[in-house]
Amino acid sequence: MKKILLVTLLPVIFFSCSEPEKKPAGNDTPSKAEAPIKVLPPASNYTNPDRSPMDMVYFPTDYPLLKMAGKTFVPPLMRIIYSRPQKQGRPIFGGLVKYDTPWRLGANESTEIEFFSAATVAGKTVKPGRYILYCIPQETKWTFVLNSNLYSWGLEQNRLKDLMQFEVPVEKTNLAIEYFTIACEKKSEKSTTLIFLWDDVKTKLPISF
Amino acid sequence: MCKTSILLCFLISFSFSFSQSAKLPEVDKSPMDVSYYPNNYPILKIQNKATEPLIARVLYSRPQKQGRKIFGELVEYDKVWRLGANEATEIEFYKDVKLGGKKVPKGRYTLYAIVSENVWTMILNKDTDTWGAFKYDSKKDMLRTDVAVQKTDEVVESMSMYFEKSTTGISLIVAWEQVKVTLPITL
Repeated sequence: MKKILLVTLLPVIFFSCSEPEKKPAGNDTPSKAEAPIKVLPPASNYTNPDRSPMDMVYFPTDYPLLKMAGKTFVPPLMRIIYSRPQKQGRPIFGGLVKYDTPWRLGANESTEIEFFSAATVAGKTVKPGRYILYCIPQETKWTFVLNSNLYSWGLEQNRLKDLMQFEVPVEKTNLAIEYFTIACEKKSEKSTTLIFLWDDVKTKLPISF
Repeated sequence: MCKTSILLCFLISFSFSFSQSAKLPEVDKSPMDVSYYPNNYPILKIQNKATEPLIARVLYSRPQKQGRKIFGELVEYDKVWRLGANEATEIEFYKDVKLGGKKVPKGRYTLYAIVSENVWTMILNKDTDTWGAFKYDSKKDMLRTDVAVQKTDEVVESMSMYFEKSTTGISLIVAWEQVKVTLPITL
């Protein structure tokens, strides 16, 4: 009953990152997540920005800014493009994001990770190129998966295109993080810890070049 | 009321989130977005409904009008504009195309515009992963092509970019305030 109420009353505000195909209950401007299939008439193409806005992470961190400031003259090493769902009071891991089920690490499109040079991810060698990155969360560990099914909506993953997996332990944060966040913690010029944060969960993926 | 309290909750949790670590990247005022041709390609793909291959993708950040006069003021005439906000707008072609009569090999490019009242000069530039138009270098231009300014009926609040099918291929539409331009891409 509680679930039904939640589904009926709150989808507009509590937009679920795992169920993007649900119809909106209110008269919000349709985002691409809810009215995705039909090509809309031109006037309706002027949609509002997405509820789970897209964001981009470079390593070196803020590479475009460094480049603008004349602080780097070499190409970037890595770029991640993902969308940022919000907690909005909901329990996330084990709740909205189910345990033992592939999760797109964000919202909308699958999260894209591009290595501009050969990389070592959690000890494994990864060829330069563009991949999608998703995870299978569990209470105490996450399994990250690198997959080749690019330009796909993140709702379901094509497991036949999995390339490699990395298991990392789950850490807890003291306070809940509202927006799902991916950030690079610089270790050296050529190595970083990729940090994933949402709700009270934090995981780390070590990457070096 | 409901909306207010939710907003309040949201603001509280938001401030909590960031009091924990000031270093976390905040959510942008001009959020990033993406458009594809075919439109909504990733959704079509997972539903096996894509009837055409992926041809183009544009990644841009979406500034909002917020009551300001945009063209001729916020976006000055006759200056190179990043065609959005934050990072310069990136356009990627997944096959060779033609723009302004010139061949463009598949790959990633930065798209700038020089706007004026009646015409915009669209610039395809080879220098990617850059911020704004501050380091714009015309020596890295792939090509320039002029497009006519059209007027929209409605005021477009958030700068919008999307692709449409055309008789010779596809078009990239850019719209903001009451201005719209159409950039033809020949396949």
